[in-house]
Amino acid sequence: MIFTLHNKIERNSIVLALGIIAVSAIGGLVEIAPLFTIDDTVEHAPDMRVYTPLELAGRNIYIREGCYACHSQMIRTLKDEVDRYGPYSRAVESQYDHPMLWGSKRTGPDLARIGEKYSDLWHTRHLVNPRDVVPQSIMPAYSWLLENELNTTDLRGNLKAMSRVGVPYEDSMINLANRDAVAQATPSSDDVAGLIARYGPATSVRVFDGDSQRVTEMDAVVAYLQILGRLTEIAHSEQSVQTDTNDNTIKAEGS
Amino acid sequence: MSVSERDKYSGHMTTGHEWNGIKELNTPVPKILIACLSAAFLFAIGYWVLMPAWPLGDTFTKGTLGFDQRKHLAQQMIESDNNQTRWTDPIEQLDFDAIRDNPQLMAIVRESGPALFEDNCAMCHGNNGDGGKYFPKLNDTSWLWGADPNAILETLAVGINSAHPDTRIALMPAFGSSGVLSAETIDSLVLYIQSISTTETSSTTETTTTAENINAGQAAYSMYCAGCHAQDGSGNIEVGAPNLTDDYWIYGGDSVALTATLTDGRSGHMPAWESRLSLSERKILTFYVLSLNGVGDNP
Amino acid sequence: MALAGHDIGFQLQGAVIVTAALVTLGALFSIRSQPEATAEELTYYYDAPIKAGIYLSLIWAMLGMFVGVWVALLLAYPELTFDYAWASLGRLRPVHTSGVIFGFGGNALIATSFHVVQRTSRTRLPDQLSPWFVLLGFNLFCLVAATGYLLGITQSKEYAEPEWYADIWLVIVWVTYLVLYLRTLARRQEPHIYVANWYYLAFILVVAVLHIINNLAVPVSFLGSKSYSLFSGVQDAMTQWWYGHNAVAFFLTSGFLGMLYYYLPKRAERPIYSYRMSIISFWGITFMYMWAGSHHLHYTALPQWVQTLGVTFSVMLLVPSWGSAGNALMTLNGAWHRVRDDATLRFMMVAAVFYGISTFEGSFMAIRPVNSLSHYTDWTIGHVHAGVLGWVAFIVFGTFYSLVPWIWHRERMYSLILIEVHFWLAIAGTIIYLIAMWNAGITQGIMWRTYNESGTLTYSFLESFVAMHPYYVARAFGGFLFLVGAALAFYNIVMTVRHVPLARNVTNDASVGPLSVPTGEATA
Ligand code: HEC
Ligand code: HEC
Ligand code: HEC
Ligand code: HEM
Ligand code: HEM
Ligand SMILES: [Ca+2]
Ligand SMILES: [Ca+2]
Ligand SMILES: [Cu+2]
Repeated sequence: MIFTLHNKIERNSIVLALGIIAVSAIGGLVEIAPLFTIDDTVEHAPDMRVYTPLELAGRNIYIREGCYACHSQMIRTLKDEVDRYGPYSRAVESQYDHPMLWGSKRTGPDLARIGEKYSDLWHTRHLVNPRDVVPQSIMPAYSWLLENELNTTDLRGNLKAMSRVGVPYEDSMINLANRDAVAQATPSSDDVAGLIARYGPATSVRVFDGDSQRVTEMDAVVAYLQILGRLTEIAHSEQSVQTDTNDNTIKAEGS
Repeated sequence: MSVSERDKYSGHMTTGHEWNGIKELNTPVPKILIACLSAAFLFAIGYWVLMPAWPLGDTFTKGTLGFDQRKHLAQQMIESDNNQTRWTDPIEQLDFDAIRDNPQLMAIVRESGPALFEDNCAMCHGNNGDGGKYFPKLNDTSWLWGADPNAILETLAVGINSAHPDTRIALMPAFGSSGVLSAETIDSLVLYIQSISTTETSSTTETTTTAENINAGQAAYSMYCAGCHAQDGSGNIEVGAPNLTDDYWIYGGDSVALTATLTDGRSGHMPAWESRLSLSERKILTFYVLSLNGVGDNP
Repeated sequence: MALAGHDIGFQLQGAVIVTAALVTLGALFSIRSQPEATAEELTYYYDAPIKAGIYLSLIWAMLGMFVGVWVALLLAYPELTFDYAWASLGRLRPVHTSGVIFGFGGNALIATSFHVVQRTSRTRLPDQLSPWFVLLGFNLFCLVAATGYLLGITQSKEYAEPEWYADIWLVIVWVTYLVLYLRTLARRQEPHIYVANWYYLAFILVVAVLHIINNLAVPVSFLGSKSYSLFSGVQDAMTQWWYGHNAVAFFLTSGFLGMLYYYLPKRAERPIYSYRMSIISFWGITFMYMWAGSHHLHYTALPQWVQTLGVTFSVMLLVPSWGSAGNALMTLNGAWHRVRDDATLRFMMVAAVFYGISTFEGSFMAIRPVNSLSHYTDWTIGHVHAGVLGWVAFIVFGTFYSLVPWIWHRERMYSLILIEVHFWLAIAGTIIYLIAMWNAGITQGIMWRTYNESGTLTYSFLESFVAMHPYYVARAFGGFLFLVGAALAFYNIVMTVRHVPLARNVTNDASVGPLSVPTGEATA
């Protein structure tokens, strides 16, 4: 009987402790370990690119300010979410997200496909004071983002740490991280060509915050928001494949 | 170890252990608990058989139903698309007049417009198309690119100064910072523009120099601005140049804003929606935008 | 750290740590420099850290719930940030969650675990230094965490937000806690280990494992606060919610069940209803909770097989959960008249009921179609607070009202009326909070998925959050009532310690006196 067995267990604190560890370890092992071994857990997306240093800096500010407390970045496989926000999120899209920012509460809208939905100017004005553009908004104002100069000195170390946890940053990307960050928000800079060569022609090089003289935290956050959902095209292409198979489908999936 | 005793209240025996006065009854596990546990376990087994459930090294059990949330969603999307072709097809194929004449289609247009607008456009253009600083009003009767629904539809597809390859381009040159016009000329242009607009400007310095300046401004206007904004300042829908004679300003009609506009130029960014919204959705929005001013275009 | 740190945030954290460490060291030193406990003293329980733990818990309760009310108000009136970066919602929210879970809940758990393990083992804590190290070290962790959030230092992992250096510090503290606990159990004078200790032990052990694995990260520099978590994307998400869900299970449930299993029978003066049910529930909870974390990731990019396991184990989990709640309530059989008359016992009874409600709700929400509606909405927030207000906070206050007179050797609490008032404020606050959030969540969920007949969405997102305003105001009001109640508790406890005369009779809790030495057994 288990009760007689238990009579022994509950008389020995070490056996009890080992029992607790053994019994509690199983669930996590069975659910987490296979996520590393089952191949189709993460889709293969050859076009998947890494964050540029400026975007990474923006992501870190997004974390610092706790935007994830109100915004999810995970469109679920539910029709209303796809209708409202766009193609559902794939695992590969957050492959380079250390940590992921899927979120658990949608006080504000999902941001997984916010990239290029609005203009840089809108984002800047919205972050400075959301109620300037959306009078009903309850989002906090982040006016200091426009005042604070972006700290680029540590970006090298940040890219290095990211590469240590497995993000494929090349040495040149790591070494030039600081300059690349400035270049991305300074279209007139001589370093732009190098930035594009390293991160690809789709990299947006713009004055994100409307101030071409300084690289502010706003530049970084807006650059990050504008890349959300655009690191790979996989979500769009898969969806159009699925819909193309049906003759009656009339939704034209554009570029 | 103490001995077990009978609890007077419940009639059950204690286990005989005691910790600082706390005793335990040796009540058997209630049947209902065992029954519920068994039922829950059976439910789980059933679920595991039917659905993808257990990992097996580099794969997992797929479940006898072959259910997969992604395939299921794709199926749902196709079904709903099929249901909607009933009205999306005609909306996409017919021209605006024909749609307007079809009350059934217009009922759907009216029903779908508001949420679509609020989820995508209201962030910039305001809830009722009121606009805001830097983002134009849509509930008036003057249009940058014309009141023709097809022009609006085109704007929605390709955007203005957007990343779309065929984007509309609206560029107000930077006359001051490029050195084309001097600060004085710009001052006089500002006065001139204010004089042709119906906006009430609190002219603090009603002097003769003002009148002279306005004349100088008028001359400069004909030379540099009329090409885009038309000689009378009514704007040009070919290049998206706004009407300067009404009382509405995207960037502001006070001297400071106007000076900034003339000095640094302007090029507003309206995103392209071709890749986010289907043709029928863009047509619905066109109707919705046209209906905002509550006049003739109202569907 | 304060001087060499790379970023200003890290430097300020260093300053916080140095100051706090000096204070702690001073405290530890004064304990150390006290004369060794005499042979006579060694026959007493060591209760000083428990008293400190109760005060610390109450201080964090005030702070955490005040910030909770502030956050609730921010969601209705966003200007209350006053343009300070540190006061914006994203930074205050984790101050609230960590403040109440770790500060209020954690200190209560540490304090009561020291109390329970001594009483049920009939032995004194093995030394005087390590309990203080655990208690003050843990509070240093909480302080570094909370000040860090205000400065924008966070890993963003829910309930594990503190950065790498705080995480490492907590490992040291926690291992000391575990060793201390095991050493005390090893010295016990009772052949059997009491159920409450199983739960406390599970709490300590499993939280250690969860904490270490979920916080694996590579720091950018040992002189800066920033780190990058070892896992990414879907693996990171699963690890995070394996942690997050079991932080609920082993911090907010297991530990407090330990509390329930000691203070409820003690206060009711009734034997535990069923020893056998305790066994089934304990191992059921310990085993099954660990599988349920994936219910936080339904319909996401997490493979569906993991979600299936999450649903099934969440549903099975209800049985042992209700087993525990039922065991507690049945224990009250024969003491219901006391529940009626004694607000303190009523706190515990209500806690058991809310434990039942929130686990039922949780299992329900874990079912995929239900979760498709509830996830991302305020329904989750409602569920959370059914658990943390109705269950966690109620059991803590019930416990404190029992424990304070015992441990300070007072005749009774300062004011029974204030306890009664607190009870009704807490009940009213909880119910207002829950009804507001359930309404808000379900409204939100339904608005998001409502379609017109033609198949297009009816409501914009904007309309859905504008509709939340009245509920957010009501929630803030409910939370305010709860906060006022907690303040009364604080006042009542302080006044008890200061003004209530010493008890003349030693209660059978034996907190007053020498370890009651039973037949012939000697004490260390
Ligand atoms: C109090 C919760 C809250 C916090 C914290 C918050 N937001 Fe928001 N956010 C909202 C709400 C509500 C909306 C919708 C209304 C609006 O547009 O302002 C929104 C809208 C947005 C939008 C527009 C989304 C869309 O699809 O229209 C973006 C982009 C955004 N937020 C970014 C951020 C960033 C970046 C941060 C952190 C720096 C942040 N938010 C912090 C609540 C929040
Ligand atoms: C990021 C902000 C933004 C969003 C979102 C946006 N617009 Fe615009 N829109 C603009 C700006 C800026 C202009 C004016 C461009 C210029 O200044 O030349 C504009 C211009 C227009 C025009 C031309 C007005 C005219 O007078 O001819 C129409 C029509 C329009 N928008 C409709 C829409 C609709 C419909 C949507 C939603 C699908 C939308 N906009 C979303 C910013 C936005
Ligand atoms: C190349 C064509 C072009 C020329 C030349 C030009 N404009 Fe413009 N102007 C535009 C366009 C296009 C816009 C709208 C820009 C936008 O909204 O993005 C504009 C906008 C403006 C506005 C802002 C209107 C508002 O609603 O805020 C003012 C004022 C203005 N122009 C005045 C002038 C004056 C004065 C001159 C001559 C010195 C001039 N423009 C020359 C094309 C031109
Ligand atoms: C005074 C009473 C309280 C009030 C007014 C309050 C208010 C809040 C608010 C406004 C939120 C944020 C919700 C959102 O983002 O939409 C929140 C979250 C949370 N609170 Fe409280 N709270 C109170 C007490 C407590 C207590 C006592 C605990 C724990 C012991 C607690 C634990 C939590 C947790 C865990 C969350 C996060 C929920 C999630 O992310 O899903 N709260 N609370
Ligand atoms: C049988 C027991 C329980 C089950 C099966 C369960 C299940 C769930 C589910 C399904 C969610 C929603 C996840 C989502 O959609 O994001 C959730 C959230 C939560 N539950 Fe429970 N719950 C249980 C008991 C409890 C108890 C007793 C507490 C508190 C003491 C609690 C605290 C929380 C918290 C804090 C969250 C929010 C997590 C977050 O998103 O930040 N749960 N739970
Ligand atoms: Ca959450
Ligand atoms: Ca952490
Ligand atoms: Cu959970």
